[in-house]
Amino acid sequence: MEASVNEKIHVCSSDGIELEDLIRFDHEDHTFCIYHTLDGFFATDGYCTHEEQHLEDGIVIDNVIECPLHQGRFDVRTGKALSAPACIDLMTYPVSIENNEIYILIEKTHKTPAA
Amino acid sequence: MAERFAPTNAASSSVHIDSKVIRPLRQRRNGAGLVFLLQWGIGLTLTSMLVWLALGSGWIWPAMTIHGGLLTLPAYALSHETAHGTAYRTRWLNEAILWFSSILYMEEPLHRRYTHTNHHTYTWHQHLDSQMPFDLPMTFRIWVFEIAGLSLTRYHIVRLVQMACAQYSPMIRKVVPQDELPRLTRNAWIFILLYTIIAISIFLGQNWLLWFLVLPRLLGVPIMQSFTILQHAETAVNSPSILETTRSFGTNWLGRSLYMNMNFHVEHHLYPNTPFFALPALGQALASQIPEPDPGFWRTSLELVSVVLRRSLGKSTRARSIRQAPQMITEGAIASTSKATM
Repeated sequence: MEASVNEKIHVCSSDGIELEDLIRFDHEDHTFCIYHTLDGFFATDGYCTHEEQHLEDGIVIDNVIECPLHQGRFDVRTGKALSAPACIDLMTYPVSIENNEIYILIEKTHKTPAA
Repeated sequence: MAERFAPTNAASSSVHIDSKVIRPLRQRRNGAGLVFLLQWGIGLTLTSMLVWLALGSGWIWPAMTIHGGLLTLPAYALSHETAHGTAYRTRWLNEAILWFSSILYMEEPLHRRYTHTNHHTYTWHQHLDSQMPFDLPMTFRIWVFEIAGLSLTRYHIVRLVQMACAQYSPMIRKVVPQDELPRLTRNAWIFILLYTIIAISIFLGQNWLLWFLVLPRLLGVPIMQSFTILQHAETAVNSPSILETTRSFGTNWLGRSLYMNMNFHVEHHLYPNTPFFALPALGQALASQIPEPDPGFWRTSLELVSVVLRRSLGKSTRARSIRQAPQMITEGAIASTSKATM
């Protein structure tokens, strides 16, 4: 049987990401982008859904991340693909701020012994 | 498994800049692009007056050439900058100006954007770069066709008709996402309709379109092409390093203004999402890692002509003052080593 649990992972201090900017965050075999916009902090998958290009060098304007390679754009709050060539939405992750520290919540699946 | 191609950029060129330095340089603004539009508008008004004053005299041709240069080179530069999305922070403004400038430049905006992003991914790579406009090495004949704009104009017209007929070349299918192809066709029809309206208007007696738009646009092409041909001519083919495939050159304030700083072309290819107004500062930040720009526009252009002329005459083509890839130094009879993709 498989069970899923939310794992809370520490990213960095909230001072570590400037406004309208992002950082790359790698955890185990997964890579993410963490954004700081006027609306708060957000987290998405690190790679653009169009081609295998990391978004870490992309531009954040308002709540939109623009891929540095082909300028596909995504809303970082929802992951929604906003303009071609990006057609597939980005996966997003819940973010929490506790004592000025940023955490993201990742759903993890564990195998549990059958009853 | 085949190794994945690394896009040609700063990383593939072993160039590095601290993120704290590049971040402010990449910030987009509307102001600089709007000032450019205002200056361009004022300049075009003045050169239009020049054409108007010269109507009916032999001065009409030089006047239209000056007006055409001011019309064509900034149209190219603005179309390029908006295709990157870096001219204006406001997205709709950027896209509107992309359309306007691309109509003047005569290339459908989506085709412009996607072939150009491909050019950045595969800069000057044989068969992969969709914007290699001429066969290599360049001969004098090729140079003449390029400078006169014959090759480019033919390419634009053929591509426009092909896209309107939904005939997509393998390169288009490769660089443009499948979902975008119908939009390419729709836009191509809009372009053809606009150009047809202009042609019919002239036929019906609206001659001002001829004197102020069509003829200057054609006469301005050599000025535009004189700048753009310097971007990659005589540089290395199939190199992962932008420092080897691309040229920056010096030019005065007028050249920099009309060309939107694209003479900082190495810098532009290393960090393509840096807006035009930040390229001089980027050049300063990278100065220790990139080659010195080639000498001024005139000297670089004259040396290029000299090189291609000597090549056509079968003489040694070693350049004296401009950067040149060793593979471009030829002597005697030469064979084409790379075919144009435009």
